[in-house]
Amino acid sequence: MRIEFSEISKSFSANGKGGQRIQALLPVNFVIEGGEFFSIIGPSGCGKSTLLNILAGLESPDTGFVTVDGTRVERPGPQRAVVFQEAGLMPWMTVSANVEYGLKLQGIPRAERRERAMKFLKMVHLSRYAEALPHQLSGGMRQRVSIARALALEPRVLLMDEPFSALDAQTRDVLHDELQRIWQETRTTIVFVTHNIREAVYLSDRILIMTASPGRVKRITTVPFAHPRQKSSTELSAFAAMLHDQIKEEVDKVAATELDPDWDKRPVPVAPLPYGTGEGI
Amino acid sequence: MKRLVSDGPLLWQRIGVKIAFAAFVVALWEGVVRMQFVPEYLFPGPFAVLSRLAAMAWDGTLIASVQASMGRMLLGYAISVVGGLAIGVLAARSWLFKETFGSVILALQSLPSICWLPLALIWVGLDERAVLFVVVLGALFSIATSTEGAIRNIPPIYTKVGLVLGARGIRFAKDILFFAALPELIGGLKIGWTFAWRSLMAAELIRANVKGVGHILEVGRNYNDSAMMLAGMLTILGISLTVDILFFGNIERRVRRRYGLEK
Ligand SMILES: Nc1ncnc2c1ncn2[C@@H]1O[C@H](COP(=O)(O)OP(=O)(O)OP(=O)(O)O)[C@@H](O)[C@H]1O
Ligand SMILES: [Mg+2]
Repeated sequence: MRIEFSEISKSFSANGKGGQRIQALLPVNFVIEGGEFFSIIGPSGCGKSTLLNILAGLESPDTGFVTVDGTRVERPGPQRAVVFQEAGLMPWMTVSANVEYGLKLQGIPRAERRERAMKFLKMVHLSRYAEALPHQLSGGMRQRVSIARALALEPRVLLMDEPFSALDAQTRDVLHDELQRIWQETRTTIVFVTHNIREAVYLSDRILIMTASPGRVKRITTVPFAHPRQKSSTELSAFAAMLHDQIKEEVDKVAATELDPDWDKRPVPVAPLPYGTGEGI
Repeated sequence: MKRLVSDGPLLWQRIGVKIAFAAFVVALWEGVVRMQFVPEYLFPGPFAVLSRLAAMAWDGTLIASVQASMGRMLLGYAISVVGGLAIGVLAARSWLFKETFGSVILALQSLPSICWLPLALIWVGLDERAVLFVVVLGALFSIATSTEGAIRNIPPIYTKVGLVLGARGIRFAKDILFFAALPELIGGLKIGWTFAWRSLMAAELIRANVKGVGHILEVGRNYNDSAMMLAGMLTILGISLTVDILFFGNIERRVRRRYGLEK
């Protein structure tokens, strides 16, 4: 398994058709290796979601292409499963039917897809809720189902776009540990977009740091600790703090263009920082 | 302590009040008739109307009329639903279709469908088919426009999820688009039914040889039989309410519960 981004760039029209164009991504090149836990971080609006959507096939680049094992990505499909920020469970289907739906489309017989759905629901500790409806679940449980639904496709790569950012700190902690365990069990390649530096450091093998908009690759850092990791580890915190300082520059750039000019003259910045501070990741 | 938020009336209280009020209205009606402000042949009392209704039920004309009207309705409405859904999906997914046929449909929707009747009579000749034509047009455009709206309002997350899971073409339309749009779609189908029903009643009133519940009113007028006209109106009202509340209301509530949109 190998994912290659070659000369990917993308712009959007700012206000409808024919309007001014916003450059979301400048030509981007990098490679993700099979089995890797690869994170993408960068300030708000730098093009992380755009990059992930292009890999998913949900958006097409202006220039360049993405290949997975040498095959160009043309359209979305179950080989590249996506977990979005919102769980996006289909409210008319039970939890189990949500997980099974992708398998049904692949023509897998009922008994087998039921079995596979249960296996992945067990993996996220929700097998008891197989017959529940999505609205009967909490936000964290829904996101777990969404992860199970993606995993059940047994994709070559699992894409995650800020999957935990809408959850509370405790739920997020639990899901971090579960994701780390699942990744080690399944050895699926994971591409993980986040704002949160500590989250990225805790989970990833490598982290791609993007520049402020228009997005480019600033650099790719290897996280030099073996899995499984301890969230409380001081080395991890020190590494995250170091990364944070390096990225500060990009944050300031965003602040300079997006925030009011007086933002850093105040004693305490009242504007929300484009990066999560990482408390209780 | 006084409660700040009341739970509202209980079910039996609400139903009880409704029944009591209905009884009051009937009593008032009977009272007004007995005072004979207007001659009874113009404004018959509730018992006269009910016995007229019973008589029509007894001799079979009521059943036959309801059957004739509902047959037309179901056929016409079914055609409108199939056509309206297809047009709505096309208009939502293809800008070319929307800018061409879509704008024509939007314009035609403003024309009361009964206005098509004279032309339809010339075109298809037969009364029965002309009425069907009017019923279909009554619902078709409104179902098409509300379907388009319902599809456009689908949260993008469901389309993204559907595509990622591998749904394409017809599967995508019937598994994802249809269900994601359903809560809003039902409202559109209900309005479509109302339009079709009104068109049918107008057509049955106008065309003397089209039998049906609308026709009861016309017969009543010919015989100067006010009780018969009121009995016909009660029948029409009964059908409208049954379909609106029992059928559409029920489905709507069930869907909204399943989707977690209400308790
Ligand atoms: N559909 C779109 N139409 C117009 N502009 C868009 C669209 N999608 C993204 N953009 C623009 O492209 C840029 C990158 O957006 P993107 O969503 O990829 O950023 P991001 O890094 O994911 O941000 P965040 O961290 O806030 O989610 C932004 O300037 C955004 O305004
Ligand atoms: Mg994003």
